[in-house]
Amino acid sequence: MKKLVYLILLVSSTGFAQYYKTYDWKSNPKLHELTSAELSEASVGILKKNIVEYQKSLFGSGLNRFETQHTIVRVNNDYGINRHNTVYIPMYEVKQVVDIKARTIHPDGKVTLLNKDNIKEVKNVEEYGDFKIFAIEGAEEGSEIEVLYTVEKQYDMHGTETIQSDFPIKEARFLFITDGLNANIKAYRTDKSFETVDVNGKPSKQIVLKDIPAMLREEYATPDANKITVAYQCFPEGQNVTHEMFWENVVSNIGSQFFAGEIKQKVIDDIKGFVKDDKELTTFKVASMVDNFIKTNFIIIKNNNAELSDLDYILENRSASEFGIIKAYAQYLSALNIDYEFVITANRYEYKFDPEFFTPGMLRNFIIYLPSEEKYISPSRIEYRVGEVPSNILGNYGLYMNKNFEYYFSKIVQSDPNFSRTKRITNITFDEDIESATLDQNHEYYGHWAITNRAILNLSPKESIKQFEDFLTSSGIEDKVIESFETENTDMNPVEYNPPFVVKAKVTSESLLEEAGDSYIFQIGKVIGTQSELYQEHERMNPIEMDFPNQYDYTITIHIPEGYEVDGLDALKIYKSYTAPSGEKVCKFESDYTLEGDKLVITIQEFYRTNEYDISSYEQFRTVINAASDFNKASILLNPLD
Amino acid sequence: MPKIVKPILTFLMCLPAFVFSQDFSGEDYIFLKRHEHIKIALNNNKFDIARNISEQAKYITAKKLYFANESIGYDSFTSIENIKAFTELPEANKTIEVDYIETKREFDNGIFYSDQESKNFTFPAVTKGAITNLSYTEVLKDPRFLGMFRFGTFVPTKSARLTIEFPKNVTIGYIDFNTENIDLKFVKEETSSGYLYTWTVENVEGFQSEDRSEAALYYLPHIIVYIKSYEVKGKSHNILGDVKDLYSWYATLVDQIDEKSLEKVYTITDKVTEGLTSDREKAKAIFNWVQDNITYVAFEDGLGGFIPRGAASVCDKRYGDCKDMANLLYEMLNYAGIASYRTWIGTRDRPYSYYEVPTPMVDNHMITTTIVENDTIFLDATDSYVPFGMPSAFTQTKEALLGLDKENFKVIKVPIQDINKSITTIETVMTLDNSTLKVQEQRALTGYEKVDFISDYVYKKDDKTEEEYLNTTLALGNNKTQYRDITKDNFDNSESPLILKYDLNIDNYAKTVAGKTFVNLNIDRTLAKSKIDTNDRKYSKKIDNKFRKVFTTTFTIPEGYEVTSIPKPLSFDNSDYGYQIHYTKENNKIIQYKTLYINTLKVNNNEFETWNSFIKSLVKAYKKSIVIEKDL
Repeated sequence: MKKLVYLILLVSSTGFAQYYKTYDWKSNPKLHELTSAELSEASVGILKKNIVEYQKSLFGSGLNRFETQHTIVRVNNDYGINRHNTVYIPMYEVKQVVDIKARTIHPDGKVTLLNKDNIKEVKNVEEYGDFKIFAIEGAEEGSEIEVLYTVEKQYDMHGTETIQSDFPIKEARFLFITDGLNANIKAYRTDKSFETVDVNGKPSKQIVLKDIPAMLREEYATPDANKITVAYQCFPEGQNVTHEMFWENVVSNIGSQFFAGEIKQKVIDDIKGFVKDDKELTTFKVASMVDNFIKTNFIIIKNNNAELSDLDYILENRSASEFGIIKAYAQYLSALNIDYEFVITANRYEYKFDPEFFTPGMLRNFIIYLPSEEKYISPSRIEYRVGEVPSNILGNYGLYMNKNFEYYFSKIVQSDPNFSRTKRITNITFDEDIESATLDQNHEYYGHWAITNRAILNLSPKESIKQFEDFLTSSGIEDKVIESFETENTDMNPVEYNPPFVVKAKVTSESLLEEAGDSYIFQIGKVIGTQSELYQEHERMNPIEMDFPNQYDYTITIHIPEGYEVDGLDALKIYKSYTAPSGEKVCKFESDYTLEGDKLVITIQEFYRTNEYDISSYEQFRTVINAASDFNKASILLNPLD
Repeated sequence: MPKIVKPILTFLMCLPAFVFSQDFSGEDYIFLKRHEHIKIALNNNKFDIARNISEQAKYITAKKLYFANESIGYDSFTSIENIKAFTELPEANKTIEVDYIETKREFDNGIFYSDQESKNFTFPAVTKGAITNLSYTEVLKDPRFLGMFRFGTFVPTKSARLTIEFPKNVTIGYIDFNTENIDLKFVKEETSSGYLYTWTVENVEGFQSEDRSEAALYYLPHIIVYIKSYEVKGKSHNILGDVKDLYSWYATLVDQIDEKSLEKVYTITDKVTEGLTSDREKAKAIFNWVQDNITYVAFEDGLGGFIPRGAASVCDKRYGDCKDMANLLYEMLNYAGIASYRTWIGTRDRPYSYYEVPTPMVDNHMITTTIVENDTIFLDATDSYVPFGMPSAFTQTKEALLGLDKENFKVIKVPIQDINKSITTIETVMTLDNSTLKVQEQRALTGYEKVDFISDYVYKKDDKTEEEYLNTTLALGNNKTQYRDITKDNFDNSESPLILKYDLNIDNYAKTVAGKTFVNLNIDRTLAKSKIDTNDRKYSKKIDNKFRKVFTTTFTIPEGYEVTSIPKPLSFDNSDYGYQIHYTKENNKIIQYKTLYINTLKVNNNEFETWNSFIKSLVKAYKKSIVIEKDL
């Protein structure tokens, strides 16, 4: 009996040590003072506080883990209300909800408390797991919405929290309580660092960030991946795991599954069907055949079926998870004696892969590298075939491992820097009355352009294909009539490297020509299709990241009608470029012309040698990008020869 | 929006298919069959209804293997049983069963919480030549939700069949739509215990949506079946015999509305209408209060998807869906002494009439109808910016079902809103500085012109600057047009016009040739890109509302110049759409008067050529410039 009392005392005293239990919102909340600039925002975060608390378990060696989030947001208009009046709390890894509460502080000071009966549970949402959701009650313009919740989660050594948001936050605090256990924490994209603070007698880490700006959805940027983020680790008592040990662990765990052991009979049988005995077969061709075979016979499924990672099941059902499909590739490639490495990385628009801090949440994308070819296979991307990596991975770091379980990190780059290019030849003639222009177009698209174009043409609904045809034939000409439209090399399963996607089209337009007395104004600039202007009214936040390096080469030949001459050609000469500190000309727009008899030949070359530019070169980059939209409004004159 | 029972989620109009030859060999994926058998049984005044669905699809190519992902939706009014699914591989002479089915939920942008769930699975081993087979039973818990059967769907169907089997004491109603161009066969049979109706059709093409076309249900061949009544021991019981029965059911639902604490609602009403004397002013103040203070958040949970939440609770929470707002308006207006009625309505994408289709399929929305000074006014507070007095644009032309009292109702049509209610008046002053055009412009927008501008601005501007937003939406001048001093007044739901002002700088705008300078005064080229591609267009064009744009553009002739050419007047006049442009010279100014109007909500296929002539003529008129030359 005495023992039991002792035990209860111990529980309650340890319980008291849990910080989240003492943390609460103010009992008499008041609206916060905001500046006029803050009041002009749709919504402003007044507080975002996260508390991650690890605690030694009373029994056994396990750890308890509690997470608390406390947010206060002012909503200033309808858009702000709509942004914050529905709350979704993910239940991923949650063992139990300790408490969820929310209230609205009205402009008149009145407080509406959330009725907890209105919290709904939603199970197995798409790929995200379970959620608790509720709508904020009483929110009106000028209110503050306050949400405070604590959940107990299953013990996981690792975690991350995104601090920055799409709206400004006046103060963010991240408190990391580890109960004296070994731990690591890292903050990304901020100058501020963690300080040691005392929480209930235990040294803890805290970072405080003031006036965090809203992350803007800038063009040529990866805003979601550039938000201020915290990543952390907390280890069981007596343990201290280095990042290197984690990486080694990944390599031995995953590597052992992805480097094929015994080749299955089914694989050998399949190979007989799709690889014919041919002396011409190169490694590239064989790998392409494997890629084509798998992508036309297997389907990738995103659900919770564990068997989708089981090789026998995968081969029998021709169905696999994103993870499991790698095992199929491993079988076919190994059976055909193709040497490969396995790469783990992430979508650069979501995460910047960090080789120096192990975060399992970043190990998201699996690709295969063929070192002898310097080419990649992208198993889960239906539109890609053996070649360069998909553009959403390009430039991120990756963990590469080989069959001997040796590993290294590398930035993922294109082996062919000129992979993506567009070559367009356009011949322009006018009808007898000079009312209508005819554009004879021959376009060749390579690299990512070709891959995307093929995918759209093969996989999209009719309405999108219509828009796509417009896009490929000088978009933006308002009265354009597509007289003919043909495409070549549309097959998604080529076995050669980077074949061009070809468009041959004939379009006519009257709006390109405007009468000007006896002369005609010809809007030549519109022939290159709509070019949008890159705006900048506020200071650039994000470094420049284009989808991929690319180059355009245009030749536009205007057949000058008999009895006319051309004038106003100065507008056709544009030259803008940016030379990097290394001395290399990294991007350029250059247009020029030659006049040969009755032919005016305009040439344009625009290129971006790299897809990444430093934020400090933004203005130079913008000048080059906008040069295309300068050309877009160029027009020339057709004047009668007396 | 109230609950809409969607029995099969897999119907997606947005999915692809083209080429319509009878053998469908140019397709990637087709349905070999889509068969549905509805079995209705009646025991002790209780219906047992099951829909047995059986589908077979073929992969003609290996391009679109993503069709292997299947999702069967259901909610608290239905349950899904006996799913059997397998893939046949004729070449390998093999079948592989689906062995994993997952129950999932989805987050929907429009509906915050719904009881809709789905059974999800993927057919294994699909590849070129594979045939997938699916059968399941959907058990219906309410006899009012028999739903519809689509003879056509997003890809071609070789064999489509609907059968319905019911006892002799049950009466069935049915009506088909858009079946003129398919060879639909209908057979009625009498069996020992009842009747069997069968509709069959072979080789139905695929249907896919088109840009700015009417909603799918306007062209997709389909049939709606419903239970009209049943008879037991000589006594007839109505289910959905006609609109009266539908209304009786709606009345029983409305009867369940929580009427607690209505005094809270009355207090707010008193406050909102304080000092106002006329019914019109009061009704307007109440409507604007609900628009401004209740945010749209929808919950669809069982019958809760049909029964509005109590008005007091909606006021407390400050959120609700259409029916919650409609009921709140109803309570507030009636309390203020203004006759108002809860009103059911289908939005424009439902092509049905209450008289033809007396089922819950006909409507998907709720509003409030009020009578003020003999004016019938339709109030839809889900549209935050529509001015008092105008219905939401997407309810025009539709039948509104007004609940007068427990037994009585009235069906009236929401009128198309007159063109003169939605006008944009554009006053533009232009000067030329070398080749740069300097512009001061003011736009005054009323009615739906105003509603659309504000809604788009609020929800689509995102992180764009005002300049970038206006440059990409108004698209005045060229893509380099600079906007300065942008101001907006009456950016709200009032009847006062929205006033938008800005200055523009358009570089390199004027062209000079041989001493002649050409200036095109049409910096706004509305509708220039609206030509309809008639080559493979199949469906009629939908227009959201009637509108008129009236431009007055004043160009000051630069000093030392004279005008040597002014374009002739041009016009296209038609009762449904058209434009007029003419120019005058007054002292040192050229004034262009331009009017554009759209006076219809629909352009039918046989009118496409006329529409295109209109656009062609307009584009031609947009090309005309004035010419100025230096004084000699």
